[in-house]
Amino acid sequence: MPIEYIRSVLGIFGESPFKPVHTHAEKGVEAVHKLKLAVDAYTKGDFLAVQTLNTEISGIEYEADIIKQTIRKLIPSSMMLPVDPNDLLSFLKPQDSIADNAHHTAHWLTMRETELPLELKQGLLELMERIVKTVDAYENTVDDIAKLLETSFSKKEIKRILKKVPVVEELEHETDITKKQLQHTIFKYEAELGGTGVFYMITLVRDMGNIADSAGTAADRLRTMILRR
Amino acid sequence: MELFDPLMLAVLIAGLYMAWNIGANDLANSMGTSVGSGALSIKQVIVIAGTLELVGALFFGERVTSRIAKGIVPIDQIMAVDPNLVIMGSLAAILAAGFWITFATFFHMPVSTTHSIVGAVTGFGIATTFYLDSFTLNQIEWLVLGKIIISWITSPLLGAAIAFLIFTLIRILLLGKVSDPYKLEKKFVYLQIISACFVAFAHGSNDVANAVGPISAALSAADIIPQGTIPVWVLAVGGLGIILGLATWGWKVIETIGKGITELTPTRGFSAEFATALVVFGHSYSSLPISTTHTLVGAVVGVGLAGGLAAVDLSVIRKIFISWVITVPVAALTSGIIFAVLMEVL
Repeated sequence: MPIEYIRSVLGIFGESPFKPVHTHAEKGVEAVHKLKLAVDAYTKGDFLAVQTLNTEISGIEYEADIIKQTIRKLIPSSMMLPVDPNDLLSFLKPQDSIADNAHHTAHWLTMRETELPLELKQGLLELMERIVKTVDAYENTVDDIAKLLETSFSKKEIKRILKKVPVVEELEHETDITKKQLQHTIFKYEAELGGTGVFYMITLVRDMGNIADSAGTAADRLRTMILRR
Repeated sequence: MELFDPLMLAVLIAGLYMAWNIGANDLANSMGTSVGSGALSIKQVIVIAGTLELVGALFFGERVTSRIAKGIVPIDQIMAVDPNLVIMGSLAAILAAGFWITFATFFHMPVSTTHSIVGAVTGFGIATTFYLDSFTLNQIEWLVLGKIIISWITSPLLGAAIAFLIFTLIRILLLGKVSDPYKLEKKFVYLQIISACFVAFAHGSNDVANAVGPISAALSAADIIPQGTIPVWVLAVGGLGIILGLATWGWKVIETIGKGITELTPTRGFSAEFATALVVFGHSYSSLPISTTHTLVGAVVGVGLAGGLAAVDLSVIRKIFISWVITVPVAALTSGIIFAVLMEVL
């Protein structure tokens, strides 16, 4: 149209921040799934694959950051949302940390090529498995936001989504236990790994644990956002 | 005076331009929500809106038209002295409102055609006091004008309240109970088609007056139509002008709105439209000219307050309020000036 001879009511309709929130969650989960591949490759000694995957995860994390900025721009003070915008933002933050921490871990994996004892390899793989389960459960929870909005927060849908939050928290707790056990195991191999090796592994495992922590916190903030509405 | 007198023709053409504008933007806005929620295609909307707009104008357009023609400025009293003044005044009012609407549309200001024409008619009334000793400011129906202006504030509020109520009922009784809310939305498509029809009908009953009010004032001053009546053919001219606007330009506006609104599902669209139609038609019944667009904005906010929308941008309300405050004095002043110029030249 050369000249827009239009007076419209379009301005009253804000763009939903919840759709990008969902895409943003998916990015985090995608990054974690890639990280699983990276950990697999690391235990197999395929450090080249770790490098490649790190680059991919870095790209995903960057995309997640862009989406986060878009979401922030969608909620100026004049925008009326069905939830408290502050609650939405404080839920977005830990969700953003999922991709951040995944990237952090992937990057740390590229720092040192370590030949690990079998028990530690298995421990890493088991921990990663639990982290993937936790974030998958988290994504499953976030998926329900659309239906929650569609029914305009019906009691049934609120109940449904609130039942899923403890599932994430339970999985996060299990991840935490696995993490502590693994840290314990790391010190068992102190002589074999050397001081640097132990430091490297302890840091790696802590960073991995943070991913599940973020998913747990995000699920908790999601619950707060829904309940405080 | 005859219908084909140049002055009379000017009134008719200006009135048709006003009607075209109403169809191109205002009616299109009211209909855009149906396209946005996917209830109707653009072609369907144009046929439905065109038909029901005309029905609304023909069968219920008379009350508001007569209010705008002679309810604010008692043209009978002016006509008794000099019918020419009424014809010039009507032309001045339509031209002023038309200019302002054109200007505002180019700058995307959420201006109401209703507010413009009411302001312009009032401006003509005030200007007349300078030309006619027997006509004073006291003779302008300030009480009526006050009532109209109050209805401009209350109608969006009423729209919001009713839409809030309708959507809350849908939410509690239906959305919260059904197993698949998306299936329910599909069923609401039919209800939304009905509410879209109701909006077009209500719009016709209220907004045709914005174009036809001054025309009928001029026609009755020229003794072409009997005093105190508004023949169906006059309403039909306005209605057809509106449909012309919808068909030649309004579809573009509908398309823009339809693409832009992605969040409005049929249950939400139905709530907002039904509330709007109810409020607008109620005001037509009470002979009060109101803005359909502003009522619709109020209704959307109502649905948002009921938790039905993911995001409602309230900054629009401030813009509406500002253009609302500007419109009446600007239209009145422009109308007065055009009237004075016409008096000098002719």
